Amino acid sequence: MDMHVYEVFQQQKEGGALVHSGNIQAPDDRLAIHYARELYGRRGESVRLWVIPRDHVLELTDPDLLKPPFDRSYRSVEGYRLRDKLASVRAAREGS
Amino acid sequence: MHPSTHAYEHGTDQLLRPLLLSLADDDFMLGYRDSEWTGIAPMLEEDIAMSSVSQDEIGHARALYEISVEMGRRATSDEEYGGSPKTIAREVDALAYGREKTEYHSSWLAEHHRGDWAFTIARRYLYETADEVRLEALSGSACTPLANVLTKVRREERYHTMHLRTWLDRLAASPAARPRLLAALHSLWPDALGFWEELEGEDSLVASGAMPLSSEAMRERWLTRITAELEEHGISGPDAGLTPRTGGRRGERSPGFEEFWAEVTQVYRLHPGATW
Repeated sequence: MDMHVYEVFQQQKEGGALVHSGNIQAPDDRLAIHYARELYGRRGESVRLWVIPRDHVLELTDPDLLKPPFDRSYRSVEGYRLRDKLASVRAAREGS
Repeated sequence: MHPSTHAYEHGTDQLLRPLLLSLADDDFMLGYRDSEWTGIAPMLEEDIAMSSVSQDEIGHARALYEISVEMGRRATSDEEYGGSPKTIAREVDALAYGREKTEYHSSWLAEHHRGDWAFTIARRYLYETADEVRLEALSGSACTPLANVLTKVRREERYHTMHLRTWLDRLAASPAARPRLLAALHSLWPDALGFWEELEGEDSLVASGAMPLSSEAMRERWLTRITAELEEHGISGPDAGLTPRTGGRRGERSPGFEEFWAEVTQVYRLHPGATW
């Protein structure tokens, strides 16, 4: 039987994020839905499943695009060391 | 007497017994038979799916046995019903595993060995489509405990029939599987017709409203439905005039049952009445 891989995403409660929960193999889309339900939904642990043929996933791994060569920490919140600042302000306020 | 208002009175439990047990025993036998695929189904995912569906069937059987146990207790006791879960579980076990072989009401269709995958799918297809018609009719039963349980059962069965139809479509379209599927259907038609054998006391069951439709009326509904469905696959229904293979609803067991039953009850017989 010609099998295909499907990636399964699971939403545990309404409004929550769809989190990747694993993958399954199935010969076609209809059975993929059944198997996703059996493996990731039969115990009431999901309110929604996304079942996506792996072939349809667009993948990006290029390090030039994902790991830029220059230091960019100044662009991120951590670059401002906000946590330390906040902590000192909070300590000062509590002290007064 | 009308079971909706007097479901637990003397006599009603005896009247309803063949109905409840035919439903429960069918699910029980089929659940066991198809669980024999665990570990050896065509692929891992299907192994899990088939095992899960089989467990569902055994769960349905348990819910139906519980109704029968509860009715029996209320009918024979003046006390307010108060069996502990353990006591009920023991009585359900006794009903499931402890009866004489001739006291079962299962259809032969449900009792057969799983065979090869095409046979399993063919049998399961015939069974699930028949069960679908039966549950649809009986969810309007005047026996309210039964109607209530069947409403839940039908929610799970919807998925089972989806699963089965998916497989039927696949096998019917596959050059390698189609001849096996057709051979299995051919060998199973008499049992599928026999599934609708009249129950013990059926006239009273119909008159009291416990069965909104007779077995014969349900059989006609089922035949019309699956004949049309199979036609879409170029598969013909049973030959007109084919003799149904009956007896299951009246205590006659199918060939091979003896060996199967010895295995199913093996653990129970070690210590009848034990709490697991």
